[in-house]
Amino acid sequence: MGGRILCVAEKPSIARAVAQHLGGQVQARNVPGIQWVKNYEFNYTFPPWGACTVIFTSVAGHLHTIDFDTRYRSWNSCQPGQLFDAPVVTSIDDDKKAIARNIETQARGARTLFIWTDCDREGEHIGTEIRDVALKSNPRLEVCRARFSNIERAHVVNAARNPVPLDERQANAVAARIELDLRIGAAFTRMQTLQLRPMVEQMLESKVISYGSCQFPTLGFVVDRYFRVKNFVPEQFWHIRVMHRKDDIDVTFNWKRGHLFDRMAVTIIFERCIMARTAKVVKMQKKPTSKWKPLPLTTVELQKMGSRFLRMDSQRVMKIAEELYTKGWISYPRTETDQFDRGMDLRKLVEKQCPDGQWGPYAQGLMNGGFNQPRQGRNNDKAHPPIHPVNHVAASHLRDDEERRVYEFIVRRFLACCSEDARGEATDVEIQYGTEIFRTHGLLVLQRNYLDVYPYDKWVSSQQLPNFTLGETFEPTEAKMLDGKTTAPGFLTEPELIALMDANGIGTDATMAEHIAKIKERAYVMTRPRGRATGGGTGLQEFIPTTLGVALIEGYDNVGFETSLGKPFLRKEMELLMKAICAGTTTRNDVVHQSLEQYREVFVRTTRQINVLKEVIIPKIHSPSGPARLNASHLTNLEQLEGYTSLLLHDTLHDSSALDPAARVGRAGRSSERADPVALCAIRGAGFGGPSVANPARHVLDRRTRADAGTEHLRRGLRHFSACVSSARSPPQFGTEETREGFRVTFWCGDGAGHDVRSSGD
Amino acid sequence: MDSTNLAQEITTHLLSRGLHPSPTWLTTTFLPTIRPTTPLPALKQTALFRLLASDITQTLQRTPSSVFPPDIHNATIRERRLAGPIAVQVLDIEDIGRSRWSQVEALEAAERGETTKGREIIRAVRAEDGGEGADADADVAGSGGPHKLVLQDAQGVNVFGIELTAVEGVGVGMNIGAKIVLRDVLVARGVVLLEPGSVKVEGGKIEGVHKAWREGRKERLKSAAGITERG
Repeated sequence: MGGRILCVAEKPSIARAVAQHLGGQVQARNVPGIQWVKNYEFNYTFPPWGACTVIFTSVAGHLHTIDFDTRYRSWNSCQPGQLFDAPVVTSIDDDKKAIARNIETQARGARTLFIWTDCDREGEHIGTEIRDVALKSNPRLEVCRARFSNIERAHVVNAARNPVPLDERQANAVAARIELDLRIGAAFTRMQTLQLRPMVEQMLESKVISYGSCQFPTLGFVVDRYFRVKNFVPEQFWHIRVMHRKDDIDVTFNWKRGHLFDRMAVTIIFERCIMARTAKVVKMQKKPTSKWKPLPLTTVELQKMGSRFLRMDSQRVMKIAEELYTKGWISYPRTETDQFDRGMDLRKLVEKQCPDGQWGPYAQGLMNGGFNQPRQGRNNDKAHPPIHPVNHVAASHLRDDEERRVYEFIVRRFLACCSEDARGEATDVEIQYGTEIFRTHGLLVLQRNYLDVYPYDKWVSSQQLPNFTLGETFEPTEAKMLDGKTTAPGFLTEPELIALMDANGIGTDATMAEHIAKIKERAYVMTRPRGRATGGGTGLQEFIPTTLGVALIEGYDNVGFETSLGKPFLRKEMELLMKAICAGTTTRNDVVHQSLEQYREVFVRTTRQINVLKEVIIPKIHSPSGPARLNASHLTNLEQLEGYTSLLLHDTLHDSSALDPAARVGRAGRSSERADPVALCAIRGAGFGGPSVANPARHVLDRRTRADAGTEHLRRGLRHFSACVSSARSPPQFGTEETREGFRVTFWCGDGAGHDVRSSGD
Repeated sequence: MDSTNLAQEITTHLLSRGLHPSPTWLTTTFLPTIRPTTPLPALKQTALFRLLASDITQTLQRTPSSVFPPDIHNATIRERRLAGPIAVQVLDIEDIGRSRWSQVEALEAAERGETTKGREIIRAVRAEDGGEGADADADVAGSGGPHKLVLQDAQGVNVFGIELTAVEGVGVGMNIGAKIVLRDVLVARGVVLLEPGSVKVEGGKIEGVHKAWREGRKERLKSAAGITERG
């Protein structure tokens, strides 16, 4: 047979890696018009086709883009509502044209198109795009795809030998999602931007108030928690604690009821305990216990653990994991599967880790008989195994510390999965004292097992308990009635947000990190390290919505809770429909139609009640005491100051009639040459790039701004700022000071915290 | 059967449930409304049902043993037992095992039609004939307690009761005006200690009081938690 096989991967790095596995030292040829895509040529014998010439190339993500027909593209061309049915056209982006041409050229004369895109829904869809382009120049082409989940050599060779058909259903699900995202996103974005932007202009960083069907529920979770924290009311509670000294050990027994919120009740119960004088042991149990080793690693879990233990946000973790995958160190990092296939040779993977300086000896221990089959989770996406290391790499060969931390986590997690659970002995003692039960618990860790390689879990022995026997009575050494107060929950952290999105079907494991990044980018939320107020700090980021973010969610909630865009319900239904397409129980057209109707209903209701939305936003942003209801007593914490300062800067921007409008719309960082520096300063400063870590109370606006122009604008803004709070009990003070870099503006508020707005000239 | 005998039969039946109807209620309120052809067992049931739906300060006989003693509020008495049976009606109930604020949050989520299952937010489906939001209260009713109640006897004396051990039928989902019969019950420092052995929830409700209590519940929880509504 023989002939020419055209292989196409999703990105150039995969093309190169796979080509090298299959062809050894392969020759790279340039692709005309696009430098960073190469064609690799070599010979390879595929069992189905015999010895063939192979051209291995790649695309760079999606080839096609869909947009509305030109008549509808301009913002004023139609009513936003028309976008629900406006015709859409598929085209190839200008920057992808050279790639598409290359595929057309290479497809001519090929007998088979062998697609090597990533094995997930998105990859399946990209595969169909590649197919459509290739078939244009060669309609007789045979099309198949490779099924692989890492680019370890043996795995790749196996995939090359066993081509499978493209999964049309998954591709259709993606196509449906793309169309829905475009129509719904564009309709709502245009509508809310046109309606609301004039009101919030001075608050806004970009000219668009974007809407996304995942973005908004994500924002909704943040706003929801924000209000739970803000509205929280601490309450006093009371409880009883019993202490007893036996065999020279002080044992504390805790009340089985925990605590009660009624003093009278606790007092009466307490008195009855005291009156009873003696307590009786009603339960004495020693039993073996174990701490289960973790489940095999999924994407969501990796992202959560990343923010918790690796000090990176989910997007960063995913980016690094993606690179580790591309370099062949780990398996495909986008997976929902938390069970290893029984047929997988896990020992071999463990063995590869034996040379490591840190966990090598542990891996060796597993090889010498410590190996244990991993636990089976409940999820299997049938596409990828759990995330695991496919090859060992020495820490010194990894690019930086972040890469090392992620790799180390993945390896340790995998080794932990292949270990034994930690074992211990638990002791539970319960006593009855009066009418009440009090209990104590002891733990003795006997075998640490997986904990030795997995420092992210904690399980330590407690104090040893003296021996109690069932039925034994004693007079407790001490019984106390104590009180305490409930404390507010914390602001939402990233692991919590991911867990909420996951539980509520917002986004997929592959896209959650993007949605989170997006609401930050849109300045709907800000993040700061948790525990900043108390000085502690775990490195965990917490999310606080901005005034605009709060206003949008509140506005939509007021229009109608049932289908509020800030709630997860609508999007969750859509996600379920995507799954139904993949399962073959419904079709792309039905899904698009059904979802559009649902969102159209909300759209119509929203436009009809647009004043409800405006009413929420106006007082928040326009009133002299907005945002976040400014007054001195509210000005004691930082996030409000952040809102304040951004208001200040945006007012500065707004006041300036000399601004080039282009500067305001220009994307920060792209058009800095043409844009007015002050405008840019304000545009970029919207989130102040986050508080600086060293001194979170200090904001440094480090932008390329002409000192003279900037000073004047900021002075004006600060006067406004001062006027805003003239009614406040302790109006903020401010001063400017010329420095070598430019100037520095500092203002102080009631809480004594100093805040800097520094501009450095260039 | 003549009306005296009938009254006797019904009284006996009600007494067996711990409820001592006042002769006035029986002869001037209840008996005139019944049809003479109704069989006796049905009459007994009807009488019980009407009594449970009534305000006991108007309908029950006050005898020394069927109401709280005059010094019931004396907090210097550490503990005593009341033989009873004393019939009381529930005027208020509070879950003291959860903070008031968390109860307010749960009520508000229910108002929005949401409940949470773990981390998942679930849209509660309203029952077709939802009535007065009975479904929304269902989740809150499932709360753990213990509960603190205000109990009123036939002479209109109000006493606190604390659920020392969980009692079937006692919960924030119960009706206000529901009747409880106390037998051989422990009173400590002027507070009735409710335990399954000494407490029997007979049920019933006082419609108007129940409705008012439900409607005002969130506000009461809020003010108890120390929240003052901002403008």
